[in-house]
Amino acid sequence: MRRYLVKLPRIMVIILIAGITFGGLSSCQSKKKLAKEKAAAAYNTKVQQAKKDLTAMLNGTTDWTLDQQFKRLDTIKSYNIDEQDVKDLIVKVENKLKVEKAQAERKAEEERLRKAEAAKKKAEQAKFNVINERFATIAHAGSYAEADNMINQTLNIFVTPDVPVLIIIDQVDGVNDYDRPTTASRFLNYLKDIKAYNYAVESVKRNAEGKITELELIKK
Amino acid sequence: MKNITYSVLFLLGILFVLPATAQEQLNPKRKQAIDSLALEKVRDLSKYITIIGSKDTPWSEANRVIDRAEELFMQGSEIGVSSLLRPQIAYYGVRKYFERLMRLNYSKVEIQWYKIDYVSDLQRQPDGTYVGVITVFQKFKGYNKEGNLVYQDTTKKDITVYVKRKETQIGGRMIGFWDVLLGDMRVKETQK
Repeated sequence: MRRYLVKLPRIMVIILIAGITFGGLSSCQSKKKLAKEKAAAAYNTKVQQAKKDLTAMLNGTTDWTLDQQFKRLDTIKSYNIDEQDVKDLIVKVENKLKVEKAQAERKAEEERLRKAEAAKKKAEQAKFNVINERFATIAHAGSYAEADNMINQTLNIFVTPDVPVLIIIDQVDGVNDYDRPTTASRFLNYLKDIKAYNYAVESVKRNAEGKITELELIKK
Repeated sequence: MKNITYSVLFLLGILFVLPATAQEQLNPKRKQAIDSLALEKVRDLSKYITIIGSKDTPWSEANRVIDRAEELFMQGSEIGVSSLLRPQIAYYGVRKYFERLMRLNYSKVEIQWYKIDYVSDLQRQPDGTYVGVITVFQKFKGYNKEGNLVYQDTTKKDITVYVKRKETQIGGRMIGFWDVLLGDMRVKETQK
């Protein structure tokens, strides 16, 4: 009995060490399991979010800009998600974004060309400011005498009072649609009668002396 | 058997007619431009009528404007004249109407057109002419030499418009243009 009592502390120490060793081990194993489950849950969330975002981009229901969509797509691709439906979505979204990018670039180019054309036209119009101002003055003359005086002065810039005046009413596919052609004299008197100048000079043909031989106007 | 033959012929007929109809359809932008052009011609006429009727217009100017106004109309067109003082509507040739308007027995005349709009849209006819009807309201006021208003009425008038694509050579090149001509101007109703 005494022998056992002497050995008791040693036995208790052994039990304690064994308890710590096995207890710690089992706790470590459950932590690892927990971490693994957490990682799996995080991955699953990431995959679900990726699918959701890809579907939204494919259906055009996101309010992200094209750049933001490309960025998000790159991020999703960097996840290397090994699921066929995600891979398929990535291919579809990539194609859609490429088409949209091409369209946006084409639209931007068209806008640039349109602005360049408008600027060119404005510069050309500036050349005709003097003529436009003369016509507007006739239209807004205060009396018949004043208008007639302006008409006589303005007719001097034409070769003859019968110079053709063409009025573009519309431009469709690069083709001009005209009103019935008139003459310089009749057009200037028309401005006097109607008391409005709602046109802009589109083009002018001149002879060697600089006098107008043909005038083309466009309706504003 | 006979019925089947007729049905086949009818379908073949439609197949021939449909492409031609499609080709004749105007581009909406072009159609809008032509609609506007015809309306503008009527607005021009309203300005001319005001000038011709006004006692402030010099005689030579009124005659020049009559020439311009006459050019807006198709040959043989008639203009209706109504009055609250008589039930019947008199129709005059265009030139005669303008000359009467210039010589109206008032010291001052005010004519104003408003609510100028299509009552019947331009429709393509088999000969390629587009025909429509524009309605206008005319307010007429006549004053005596004392400056008193002695007569006034408001007349609703329908004007037939004809628009046709034509070509002419200018400066050695062919120019395609839309020729707008006004037809009869019919009185629809006259009120005080």
